[in-house]
Amino acid sequence: MIEVHRLSKRFGRVEALRDVSFKTRKGTITAMLGENGAGKTTTLKLVLGFLRPDGGSVAVAPGTMGYVPDRPVYFPWLDGWTILGLGRTKPRGNGRDFGASVLASARSLLFDASLLRRRPAAYSAGNAKKFAYLQNIVLGPDLLVVDEPFSALDPPSIKCVRDLLCGLRDSGRTILLSSHMLAEMERIADGFVVLRRGQTIANAGLREWRLMRSARTGPDLESVFLRLAGQ
Amino acid sequence: MPDTALLALTWRITRRKIVSSPLALAAGLAFPVFVVWIGLADSYGTAARFFFFLLPHVFLIAGQDAVRTDIDTGALENVLFLGGRFRGFLAAKGIVLAAAAAGYAAALFGAFAVWGAVAGGFEAGFFPRFGLSVLAGAYYLALAGVLSHWLKSGSNVVALLLAQSAALALLVSSATAKPGLLDYAAGGPFPGLGPRLLFGALVAVLPNVVVSGRLPLYAAEVLAGLGLAAFVQGRLVRRFEIRK
Repeated sequence: MIEVHRLSKRFGRVEALRDVSFKTRKGTITAMLGENGAGKTTTLKLVLGFLRPDGGSVAVAPGTMGYVPDRPVYFPWLDGWTILGLGRTKPRGNGRDFGASVLASARSLLFDASLLRRRPAAYSAGNAKKFAYLQNIVLGPDLLVVDEPFSALDPPSIKCVRDLLCGLRDSGRTILLSSHMLAEMERIADGFVVLRRGQTIANAGLREWRLMRSARTGPDLESVFLRLAGQ
Repeated sequence: MPDTALLALTWRITRRKIVSSPLALAAGLAFPVFVVWIGLADSYGTAARFFFFLLPHVFLIAGQDAVRTDIDTGALENVLFLGGRFRGFLAAKGIVLAAAAAGYAAALFGAFAVWGAVAGGFEAGFFPRFGLSVLAGAYYLALAGVLSHWLKSGSNVVALLLAQSAALALLVSSATAKPGLLDYAAGGPFPGLGPRLLFGALVAVLPNVVVSGRLPLYAAEVLAGLGLAAFVQGRLVRRFEIRK
């Protein structure tokens, strides 16, 4: 679904990525892990097309792509309903169907639908994040990329988002996550990519990861990650 | 081939922005009110001079915040602009703004023509003058678009207005009893290369002076400037990355 091959990117003198390579499979959740400054967000931005690589390539299978940023930002003059409507390139059904499906999705995310009449730029951080998920649900992406999927969310909302991500995966969608919440990642991810100082140091499926975990007698993902990170 | 879906998306976002901008609305409405006031206080002919001379500034006001403010808000890092679509959005924004301003200008010209037909005083020569006003306006939009890659919150327009004020102040302060630049522009050929180049520099910051239709060479300069600014803007957009 995503194939990243020897990706490199520089920002002036800083070499943000060097020969990063990994693959994700269709219908799986892949978690990208790494310390601060490891290159996770840069890799995501290259996959999403916000940045151009200096070297290497990114191949993404055809289909609709979705993205939930760490801290979503919206045009300050647009209200929630308008932004959701912008994603409808070809109206499916009538406006009432669209509204009903948005309201149902909002309920599933514990998002207060009355907020849709207000501008998302004025939402709290948690509601802005939930609105970003709602915007992506409306688009129905085949590939969803999420930077810090649970940041700014309260525990009930974390459960809703976890259920949403697992539901999307179970319906055949591919998901790429970047997160520091290792316990959550261990719970939902099928594979892991670990970056360190702009390089891939591990790319493993769940089975390999479990083997790695037992071989290194790590009790959990955190222990394995810390060993890989050299700490 | 232009992405029509992206043009539609850009139009919906930009239209909302214009409607929610009190400055743009006030400037857009103040202009016809001012022209009508001149016409009622003096004559339709005087109103026509002001109408064609000031019409390009409608485009200039529309060019505020074209690029940098959108970039700095971070709103381009949205699912709507994945896969490099943010570049298409920024490129389409110039087209959409030009089309919106041209549509508004055409509506105003239509109303102005009806007024002239009823009151008397409308001339066939107003059509090319309207075309030159739109050309000067399009030049303003392209230039403001280039400047807005660095200047935000309407400061691109303020920079152009300041440059115009400085140019006009220079003209006024250099006025003598002898014929000056504006006299040459109004009445006849320029005496030598120096005054020609100086007037060309004035046209670069105040293209409104070409709307009289008596300065075809300088109208060509505005057209070339429009092409150059559009080219530079296209290059800037193509190279742009969201790094924030």
